[in-house]
Amino acid sequence: MSSSTNTGTRQQGPVDTDRALPHGHGTPSPTRSFLSRRRGDGVDVLRLALWLAVAGVILLPLSAIVLLATSNNHLPLLLSGDVATAGLNSLVSSLASAAGAVVIGTVLAVLLDRSDLRGRKTLRLFALTPLLVPPFVGAIAWIGIAGPTGPANVAFTQWFGSPLWNIYGGDGVIFLLTVHSYPVAYIIISAALRRVPSDLEQAARIGGASALRAVTGITLPLLRPAMLSAFTLVAVGNLADFGIPSIIGLPERYVTLSTLVYRYIQSGTVDKPLEVVATIGVVLLVIAAIAMVVDAIVSRSRWELDASASPPQLLQLGKSRMLVTGLTWIVILAVTFLPLLALLSQALLPAPGVPLTWENLTLDNIVSATTAKGTITGATTSVTLSLLAGVICTALGLAIGTVVTRTRARSNPALRTIAMLPQAIPGLVIAVGWLIVAPSIGLFNTPWLILCAYVMSFVAIVVQSVSAPLRSTPLTAEEAARISGAGRLRALFDISWRMAVPAAIAGGTLVVLTAVRELTISVLLLAPGSQTLGVNIFSLQQAGAYNAASALSLIVTVVGLAGLGLTARQPR
Amino acid sequence: MFRTTPLVATAAFAVLGLALTGCTAAAEAPAATNAAVTDTLAAATITVYTSEPQAKIDAVVAAFNEVQPDVTVEVFRAGTGDLTARIESERATGDVQADILLAADAPTFEKYKADDLLLAYSPSDVDALNQDVVDPDGFYVGTRIIPTVIAYNTNAIDAPPTSWQELTDAEYADKITMPNPDVSGAAAFNAAVWLDEPALGEDWLEALAANNPVIADSNGPVSQAVATGTQPVGIVVDYLARELKAAGSPIDISYPSEGVPYVSQPVGIFASTDEAEASEAFVDFLVSEAGQSLAVEQSYLPVRSDVGTPEGAPSMDDIEILTPDLQVISDTQAEAVERFNELFN
Repeated sequence: MSSSTNTGTRQQGPVDTDRALPHGHGTPSPTRSFLSRRRGDGVDVLRLALWLAVAGVILLPLSAIVLLATSNNHLPLLLSGDVATAGLNSLVSSLASAAGAVVIGTVLAVLLDRSDLRGRKTLRLFALTPLLVPPFVGAIAWIGIAGPTGPANVAFTQWFGSPLWNIYGGDGVIFLLTVHSYPVAYIIISAALRRVPSDLEQAARIGGASALRAVTGITLPLLRPAMLSAFTLVAVGNLADFGIPSIIGLPERYVTLSTLVYRYIQSGTVDKPLEVVATIGVVLLVIAAIAMVVDAIVSRSRWELDASASPPQLLQLGKSRMLVTGLTWIVILAVTFLPLLALLSQALLPAPGVPLTWENLTLDNIVSATTAKGTITGATTSVTLSLLAGVICTALGLAIGTVVTRTRARSNPALRTIAMLPQAIPGLVIAVGWLIVAPSIGLFNTPWLILCAYVMSFVAIVVQSVSAPLRSTPLTAEEAARISGAGRLRALFDISWRMAVPAAIAGGTLVVLTAVRELTISVLLLAPGSQTLGVNIFSLQQAGAYNAASALSLIVTVVGLAGLGLTARQPR
Repeated sequence: MFRTTPLVATAAFAVLGLALTGCTAAAEAPAATNAAVTDTLAAATITVYTSEPQAKIDAVVAAFNEVQPDVTVEVFRAGTGDLTARIESERATGDVQADILLAADAPTFEKYKADDLLLAYSPSDVDALNQDVVDPDGFYVGTRIIPTVIAYNTNAIDAPPTSWQELTDAEYADKITMPNPDVSGAAAFNAAVWLDEPALGEDWLEALAANNPVIADSNGPVSQAVATGTQPVGIVVDYLARELKAAGSPIDISYPSEGVPYVSQPVGIFASTDEAEASEAFVDFLVSEAGQSLAVEQSYLPVRSDVGTPEGAPSMDDIEILTPDLQVISDTQAEAVERFNELFN
């Protein structure tokens, strides 16, 4: 993405200024003693600016939510069985799916980025598809595959009297959350893997270790910070997912906090539903805050890596190459291609339930989905907003990530936690927060409101992406820069910032991909008459035009994949 | 200290600039003209919050603009729950930003009526309407009859169930799907109506629960599941099934003999409106002969008897309709949803 390159060059400005005006630290004049002690007040100003930005985009709507939640005491309701059960389900499903996502993401990162697996480039693209399919569309596609009347289940019921595996329920929710979040883990871990020098692995191999042992003994431990970052991000993000638990979980009465939010808003079973919902939002905030504290404690020990001098060496799979290649292809295709096929068959049929035969195939859905009045405006709005959100999140997230991992300040954990919190709150609650503050900041019914909400929700993705590589980079390079006379800010820009740019770009790409099909925030914040792609698909779905909805999702996925393919081809 | 000022300024500007890019746009001022024509209204802009499908509400607005070309109708379309959330958020800081609400069911409007949010208005030819959907206090009026029926997959079911009672037969175990009252407003309403109906009531709901139906998200996925045969029998609003049938899906409808609960997608004007006249014109149009003919074209059952019924739908006289006391339904709905959730757990 060119956006982040711009970010890089933009930061050149201050750096040059800094060079032109060498710091006078060490000059023992009384007037400068304060400065020389603090050294690099630029960093403090940057930190202040970041706090201001965070206050505007995150704290403002968050405080609206908290105020709403605390305007009346809804704790008794929260202590009721429903909320406790839903809370437990949310916790279990997000932790389990995050663990699954990190395991898959790590295995994929090693296999696709470091081994001589056949067809890695193609696989890398396929592996990312779940990111592009809106979760609620993916969930419906999966019901067709592994629902009670999915082909395998029907066959098993006929042969053995019971289905193979029914996707409805808690296990299905965890499975689908894993499927839809492992690409995030893969992207973060793979960005970190690129920074792991292969010299160490080679040393191990020379010392007689097997390829497997070198990976498990050397590479994986070095990836731990990235795995932890990915785990926290995915776990916190999955707390807020609505589409999957509502479609897969509710049929078996598997309720999570985010679906409970909808119950309270929708069914009118509680007084002051908005306050109750805000209270649930605050509960999720607390869970996320706890997760961040755990993350901070666990990541206290650091690994430091020197930059590699030699080009990365591919891991030779040797005899097992064919076997591993075959297995990886089968698993990835099963997870990504099956739902795409389900989407494709629906997109080409006139109505659900029409048998799949040549005469029945039609392009009508694809034509109507692409030519509908709302689709073009929706696509324009979504692409514009998500690109802007990607650029802003990349810059803001890179700055926050760098400052909180590479400088020392008591406020760092707070800054980092605040940037992460919005991930955990369901889109509906975030949207409510913005709706409440919108009139007073003059953004009501403008697309900028959605942009602000996207930035709020997604900046965490970039913060987590960059903090992984930064945590494992030694401070020595910065110290060298400081010794050579660079200011604190200058060293931060030239060393840390630059090292984190690939990870920030990866994170920014993720933000764009997530935002372009976002549903729950956009649906509430849209100005009358405007659309986004996620809302378009959802509207078609709700209007009963399932096949047109499938067609549109398929197009979004294919275009997204093509875009990813192009970015992947650019030199890193 | 001064030496670093440009640096400081640039850094602060860069970050603030990025953070605030989105936060400086001015709100658009509505276009205001005063060219009044005798039989058409002066230019005005009204905002409608609705849960109608986008294509359908677009067609309604286009037809309305043939009658009132100078009234601009802005549409915010979302599910009932999202509409509720948006309206509640707007109330938290001021007035509701919409002029008109066209959505959901009578109990929703009863709640807003009780909160003094609605403007009293009876459409011009209110006497021509089905009086069941007209609020006696004159705050809202139904615009379509949307009954919940039994839909079935014609490939899988040879002898379709003809009554609610039949759905409790063991032969339908694990074959039924229905919308979730936590998610679908119509489903919550239905739960209350079924419990209130002496012929059905709690015994029937218990027996239905014993057949282990799949509680799908909302009406959309239910009709989809029936059409694809995932579950061959569904409890779902009629127009979705009718449209799928017209599109070629192997699906058909049975109107149960005990009677069907229905929601009426009422329309009401918010008391905070600045464009009462234009809003009233829009309400008039929705229930007018032209507006109702359009509803029939869009596969809805109408609220007046002079416009026929949609293709493939029985005549209104042949459909048994459950008309409970709406006040009772409003009062018991929360409890009914609670009971439903206990039974279907």
